[in-house]
Amino acid sequence: MIAKVICYALNGLEGVPVEVETDVNKGVPAYEMVGLPDTAVKESKERVRSALKNSGMLFPMNKITVNFAPADIKKEGASFDLAIAVSLLKASEQLVGADVKDTVFLGELALNGDLRPVSGMLPILISAKGHGFTRFIIPAGNAKEARFMGGAEIFPAKTLAEVVRHLVGIAPISPLETCKFTVNANSKSSADMKFVKGQPVARRAIEIAVAGGHNVLLMGPPGTGKTMIARCLPTVMPDLNFEEALEITKIHSVAGVLGEEGIVSVRPFRTPHHTATTVSMCGGGNRVVHPGEISLAHGGVLFLDELPEYKRTTLEALRQPLEDGVITVSRAGGTFTFPARFMLCASMNPCPCGNYGSTDRTCSCTPAEIRRYRKKVSGPLLDRIDLQVEVDNVSYDELTSTETQESSASIKERVNGARRIQHHRFEGSNINTNAEMGERELSEFCRLSADGDKILRSAFERMALSARARARIVKVARTIADLDNSEEILPKHVFEAVSYRIYDKIG
Amino acid sequence: MNVTEEQALVWLCGCTPFDYRERAHLLRAAKSPKALFEDFEKFSSALIKKGESGVYNKQRGSRETDLARLLADMERKGRFAVTVCDADYPESLKAIPEPPFVLFGEGRRELLKKRKFCIVGSRITPAWAEKIGKQISEELSERFAIVSGLAEGGDSAAIAGALGSGNLICVLPTGLDNCYPASHAALKERVKKNGLLLSEYPMSESAKKYSFHARNRILAGLSEGVLVLSAGLKSGTLITANAALDYGREVFALPHNVGVAQGAGCNMLIQKGAGLVTSAEDIFWSFGIESAPREQAALPPEEEKMLAVLRENGELHVAELAEKAGMKIYEAAAVLSALELKNLAVKSGGNKYAAV
Repeated sequence: MIAKVICYALNGLEGVPVEVETDVNKGVPAYEMVGLPDTAVKESKERVRSALKNSGMLFPMNKITVNFAPADIKKEGASFDLAIAVSLLKASEQLVGADVKDTVFLGELALNGDLRPVSGMLPILISAKGHGFTRFIIPAGNAKEARFMGGAEIFPAKTLAEVVRHLVGIAPISPLETCKFTVNANSKSSADMKFVKGQPVARRAIEIAVAGGHNVLLMGPPGTGKTMIARCLPTVMPDLNFEEALEITKIHSVAGVLGEEGIVSVRPFRTPHHTATTVSMCGGGNRVVHPGEISLAHGGVLFLDELPEYKRTTLEALRQPLEDGVITVSRAGGTFTFPARFMLCASMNPCPCGNYGSTDRTCSCTPAEIRRYRKKVSGPLLDRIDLQVEVDNVSYDELTSTETQESSASIKERVNGARRIQHHRFEGSNINTNAEMGERELSEFCRLSADGDKILRSAFERMALSARARARIVKVARTIADLDNSEEILPKHVFEAVSYRIYDKIG
Repeated sequence: MNVTEEQALVWLCGCTPFDYRERAHLLRAAKSPKALFEDFEKFSSALIKKGESGVYNKQRGSRETDLARLLADMERKGRFAVTVCDADYPESLKAIPEPPFVLFGEGRRELLKKRKFCIVGSRITPAWAEKIGKQISEELSERFAIVSGLAEGGDSAAIAGALGSGNLICVLPTGLDNCYPASHAALKERVKKNGLLLSEYPMSESAKKYSFHARNRILAGLSEGVLVLSAGLKSGTLITANAALDYGREVFALPHNVGVAQGAGCNMLIQKGAGLVTSAEDIFWSFGIESAPREQAALPPEEEKMLAVLRENGELHVAELAEKAGMKIYEAAAVLSALELKNLAVKSGGNKYAAV
């Protein structure tokens, strides 16, 4: 008898339906798998055999053929185990009366029959729902992640035996209850802008950066709190909505870094070390393509501490995703596109010894050394960082002062206000923030007054700005005007925007 | 080939590997450059035996070829040589104890006849001092040819100010073919185009430890006065200032904050009697030159207010400035940015601003 069971394979962030067909024939006992399974799938033979035996089922001593359809895509991983076991049981007539036709089976089997969680559960469920499937049997370990998807019957099972009892109707499993999404539910971070002492200039820059979705570079002597400020960035950003959270969760689920909570409810903050390779940053892999750090930072912040220490090729690879918001990774196994709309926050010392511009310590670097150090970061990358600010050396008095600063929550309110204006401005387009504006939007929404244009012209000549840098200044000026609730971009907005391009002045 | 006195000097300074002392020694022995060229073997034997800096024992024929090749090369590259025998060799340079016998040059030779003023600064010069230096250089270059090195920091500020008018002389520590620091090759080209490059060394000579010291004596020797923009207590810039004092030239310095290492040398010079300079007028005044007062465009009230605060308090952090001017910090940043673009303020490291 032939049995057909539906399972899902992962292709980038998309789930692809795979039909597992099993035929049990009379003949010399044999166990064949066809349809482009990879090693991990082939190894399921032994797991399924033991799991059946240890769950009190019979492993048929016949000629067994398992086929995966469609045959043209490569099947990877252990998530097919449950589907194979169920189809084998069905084909050997051990599941009398059970209906397995429209159910999707997902899960890896342990030798004793336990079901183990698989990665990429949420993207698979979302894709399958899109394909019209509404009934799923999944490992209990994936339940937390799955319960955020409504409109489907999802049955979490701990063991293969439980699945069998459910299917034949002896002991039905109760379906998962849909869980409502609460933002910041799993916030563990204790970062808050109120703990950042002093730093008036950096605070303001952070506010502008978040309000307009701009990238930001923090430059300052070692130990002045650059990292601490960066960690506060997610706390100032607007709250995630459910769609964003799902999208981020999908990426994290595929990468297998999803936490206990099952959904990402706070904006991600990723800090890859400067030894990171281009592949770890952008995504890749031999057969299975994993999303890289920039995709894991999607919707949140990618913090690059000590920017000049990163490998040049790694940094240059960021240029295209910074413009497009997606990264396309091509490998022999296929081409995969991952979302990568992140806010870049970088930090660096002003010079190799770190004391350039410091009041109490002398810088021992020669101008040539400083130039060499700064040249490690390429101009085109810097051009994409709209705000460049110096972080102050904090004095002892400031450090020990008990006076609390403005909290993240109150900054966030202003940010939300500016975002509302932008939302209104870009309604009906696929642009969300000022930083994403193109040439067309610039000429439409960022018309400068004659005075403003004069200022920009003089800045342009004096600082030898590139055309791209000019556009960046205008975008920042637009954001500053939004924070100011001003329809027009006034000269003071342009002046302030110019003051955040220190690299052009001293670089 | 009949060699003139001037050509013999060009040969001695452009084709032989000797140092200044050895050349002087040879010239003293031979009485005239021409005689030295003709009977070089006779005078050189003593030196060659000592085996000091390099051996040059070429026959007269080879000497002639060397000289002809150098002259042809200079002709082709549009370079020239000014010898002590020439009419346009600067008188002020002749007056110093060890004047170079020959100066190789490229660019506007006529600048040698102009009045000359030297502006130098150490390689690490604070941003405000660079800005003031540039401004002073720009104004002085209307009356003087500005003399400077080609280094980073203070020298670059002086060059930036005078490049526009082209009244600019840069003296190199290397031969004219080379550039030190190498990163200033493009700057060197611009000076060549607008102003004048000078060097006392053979064309392909590279920079040696002593050549900076030797070059500084030419900087001071050429000029009627020297302005030091910044100098540490051990800065090479002080060599130029001390040379200028030795030669009886005027020395000026920018005053710096007490305790700032890069300004300690300047303050020491002022203590010893150097002229304290805050603007080009101070220098014009001490040379008895009347300069037209510069008019100042009217500023918006908040910029006026911030400028007053800046002038009253010196270098301050933007937060303190904002408090004193009664503005929000980001408003202050915008106003300061405006002043900066108008050349009235300058931003130094660590979010601090100063008036210019």
